[in-house]
Amino acid sequence: MRIGRLPAKKARILAVRYLGAGIVILLFLFPVYWLFMISFKTPDEIYHVPPLWIPEQIQFSNYYVLFKDGDVLAILNSLIVAGVSSGIAIVLGTLCAYSLARYGTGGENLAMWIISQRMIPPIAVVFPIFLIYVHFGLVDGYFGLILLYTAFNLPYVIWMMRGYIVDVPLELEESALVDGLNRWEVIWKVVFPMVRPGLMATSVFTFVFAWNDFLFALVLTRTEVITFPVMLTHYFGGQSNFWAKIAAMSVLGTLPIFVAVSVMQRYLVRGISLGAVKG
Amino acid sequence: MADVKLSGVHKYYGNVHAVRGVDLSIADGEFAVLVGPSGCGKSTLLRTIAGLEDPDDGTITIGGAVVNDLRPRERNIAMVFQNYALYPYLTVNENIAFGLRARKTPEIEIRKRVGEAAEMLGIGNLLQRYPRQLSGGQRQRVAIGRAIVRKADLFLFDEPLSNLDAQLRDEMRSEIKRLHHEITTTMIYVTHDQVEAMTLADRIVLLRDGKIEQQGAPLELFEQPRTGFVAGFLGSPSINLIPATLKTSGTAAEAVFKSGGSLTLPPAKAALLSGAEERQVLVGIRPQHFSRAGGGGPLREGVVSYSATADLIQPTGTRTFTTIKIGGVDAVAELQAHDVTNHGERIELAIDLNRVVLIDPASGLVIA
Amino acid sequence: MTVSVSLNGAEQRRPSRFGRMLEDRLPYLIVAPAILILLLVGLFPLIYSLIVSFQRITMTENDTSFVGLLNYAELFRDTRLWASLGHTAIITAIALPLELLVGFLMAQLFIDGMPGRQIFVALLVLPTVISPIVAGATWRLMFDVRFGPIGQILSFFAGEPVRILWTVNPAYVYPAIIICEVWQWAPFMFLLLLAALSNVDQSQLEAAEIDGASYLRVLRAIVLPAIAPVIAVACLIRGLDLVRIFDIIWALTEGGPGSMTETVSLYTYVQGFSQFETSYTAAISFLVIALLTLITTLVLKRMELTR
Ligand SMILES: Nc1ncnc2c1ncn2[C@@H]1O[C@H](COP(=O)(O)OP(=O)(O)OP(=O)(O)O)[C@@H](O)[C@H]1O
Ligand SMILES: [Mg+2]
Repeated sequence: MRIGRLPAKKARILAVRYLGAGIVILLFLFPVYWLFMISFKTPDEIYHVPPLWIPEQIQFSNYYVLFKDGDVLAILNSLIVAGVSSGIAIVLGTLCAYSLARYGTGGENLAMWIISQRMIPPIAVVFPIFLIYVHFGLVDGYFGLILLYTAFNLPYVIWMMRGYIVDVPLELEESALVDGLNRWEVIWKVVFPMVRPGLMATSVFTFVFAWNDFLFALVLTRTEVITFPVMLTHYFGGQSNFWAKIAAMSVLGTLPIFVAVSVMQRYLVRGISLGAVKG
Repeated sequence: MADVKLSGVHKYYGNVHAVRGVDLSIADGEFAVLVGPSGCGKSTLLRTIAGLEDPDDGTITIGGAVVNDLRPRERNIAMVFQNYALYPYLTVNENIAFGLRARKTPEIEIRKRVGEAAEMLGIGNLLQRYPRQLSGGQRQRVAIGRAIVRKADLFLFDEPLSNLDAQLRDEMRSEIKRLHHEITTTMIYVTHDQVEAMTLADRIVLLRDGKIEQQGAPLELFEQPRTGFVAGFLGSPSINLIPATLKTSGTAAEAVFKSGGSLTLPPAKAALLSGAEERQVLVGIRPQHFSRAGGGGPLREGVVSYSATADLIQPTGTRTFTTIKIGGVDAVAELQAHDVTNHGERIELAIDLNRVVLIDPASGLVIA
Repeated sequence: MTVSVSLNGAEQRRPSRFGRMLEDRLPYLIVAPAILILLLVGLFPLIYSLIVSFQRITMTENDTSFVGLLNYAELFRDTRLWASLGHTAIITAIALPLELLVGFLMAQLFIDGMPGRQIFVALLVLPTVISPIVAGATWRLMFDVRFGPIGQILSFFAGEPVRILWTVNPAYVYPAIIICEVWQWAPFMFLLLLAALSNVDQSQLEAAEIDGASYLRVLRAIVLPAIAPVIAVACLIRGLDLVRIFDIIWALTEGGPGSMTETVSLYTYVQGFSQFETSYTAAISFLVIALLTLITTLVLKRMELTR
């Protein structure tokens, strides 16, 4: 069917909806555009009255400064901390989820306790964790943050992966058991490939959660392993060219998320609704 | 190659007593079919033999060795599942080779056996495809292929054909039978379809509520059922069971219906009856034992004539199932295609009572 | 044949006793590491915190004697705490329905197929996945009175210079926070509601259309009941997030002006990390946990009732 053949009324409705869609997109993406644009502006352009909506030219000196000053190390720190902690959380969480899903280990109570761990507000535990970390000398180190993010992502991973694993037909595993695999091999060679898409999606979300965390990083980092959101707040109310830095840093800190989430678009709904809505 | 022996096997799922003391022995190379109504414990029993469930009591012996403590993979069995259980992320080739790889079989050997199996099942051209690119029948072939390359001691099938449409099911059924002739491995096959059971089995094991109701060769069960349940389960359409009062006197016996009318039993049957002069029975007559009374010539011994109205006729092409009333209840008679053509038609029937089954309604046991 | 029998022999794969033990304990072995970490990082601090909340530890004093419910009694006299709870409640009460409404309207706009929808949806999700700190920073730039575009746009429509100090002026800080919050999370609602709406039974809608039911009637009688569970889940997730809101406010106003936009999370942070009221902070934490638990159970109860 060609658009041109649509009945006039339908065509008009579609046009109105496109208009509405355009406005909505504009409203929601304009701030993002503004951020990107500032990151390419020269100081003169940034502090121009009235504000300029389009920079004269694209220039990268704002990013260059971040690299020169070593501020991008914050991004690197975030990558390390978020990457490693998601990796660990995924492995341990998936194994745990398998046991819950297939053997009902701990019954419903254990499953409920695990998900309730996710409901605990970070602010309620950050202070005691800080005290404990001070005691054990874990503040401002990779290990401390990785351990923490692992712990905070585990309930999510377990909850999501349990959902995916339950969907794997039991027959597949039994067939493999009869065919000669032991239970460990079954997890590795049957369950793992079966849940791979769900696993990827879950990894992306755990990564995003760790990446975006601010409160824990604020409290538990000082100088050595400052993560990117904390670095960003250091620019607030800062020296002369802080806008340029904020914008450039924000863009750098958003790109990985943007890439990861675009790739995982299909799983977005299930991922952010804790599996409550199967997208 | 191995024989299988079960003795005193029990299995509970929580409060559900799924298998209640099964003793069974299946000879080497035998094709045994576990059959019975849904929920009777067929799958549970099969899975217990496979080692996927641990029996709560009893011993299981495969090839002379007690396997209770062995893992499924240590029992050297192969199993075909109802939903094929193919790995969607592997090609057909890799699916078939899966068990061999798991057992670290040399690559050359794997290739040889996969090739043989694929040829035997006619799926040689599908080896590079993925399961989602196959039809149901092809998937089932792959699943069977995965089992036969293993050269296991024992094959287990759990309703392998129930997901296929009728025509494909017939085709695969013959293929499985042919397969058994070729490889002669012991096979245990679960189905709830009595036609499959009758056609495939060397021995049928009929289960009911977790217990063996009767076992034996297909025709033995069909012709000499020990209980009304067995008589009713095997045969299609089901045997007609008509309540009656059995009156014996000397060597003569007669089944009298409450609604009037009676059938005189042949002397051979009557001789089997003893004791009570008058008792309640269910008279079991298979639909196949009806025929259109022809010509008015003398009837064979044990065949009686009966005149009835065709309440409902269901032609199948070769046969016409006709519902009539006997002793006040509906009964189905299987007649020749053109024996009866109109609803409400009056027909003269001959009933062969030589193979009538008399059942005690209280105990359900066959008395003659 | 003999060759293959020996290849297949059951003995081939009989594992050691240790291997068997590993396999038998598998359900527990694979649960253990995760549970251990959760106990260590999730539960242990909570218990530690609970104990501390009955003591009287501050920055200067390390008094570990138990003082009973003293800290908890203190909570009731702490006007700044109650004010911060009030701020949290205001933000939640306004932002949550707004997010829901905006998200629902967006979902309505996109529910019927239109070419290019996938791309639109992908773009709209962007605000939700970026870091709240980035969101706050972005809006700081947007709101800036001299160099930000919002003042410029408002001036354009007003026809005269409009100079609003969004993040400083008491009259505008809440709108600023809520605009930023809704901008970031309405797309979340949108995404969930879009999925829920596309699962509504199409034949029911068609039947209603044939019956000539009005749009609002269809909405009330068919659509809303069908998506109610998803709305409940979405509100629960967002509600819990809003009650512990921290990042956006930190980036936007840092609780200011004064403590006008200080939420309970910010206040807890201040008590813990500027005042070093260790024991008192612990008591506040438990108040927050109790509150969240209460809300969650109430919502879950309601959800069960409506089901
Ligand atoms: N995992 C289980 N947990 C609890 N009860 C079970 C379980 N598996 C089977 N049962 C019960 O055990 C009984 C036997 O089940 P089984 O699956 O062996 O029946 P079946 O003969 O194979 O039936 P079908 O023809 O429907 O496959 C049933 O009552 C069933 O409800
Ligand atoms: Mg079954």
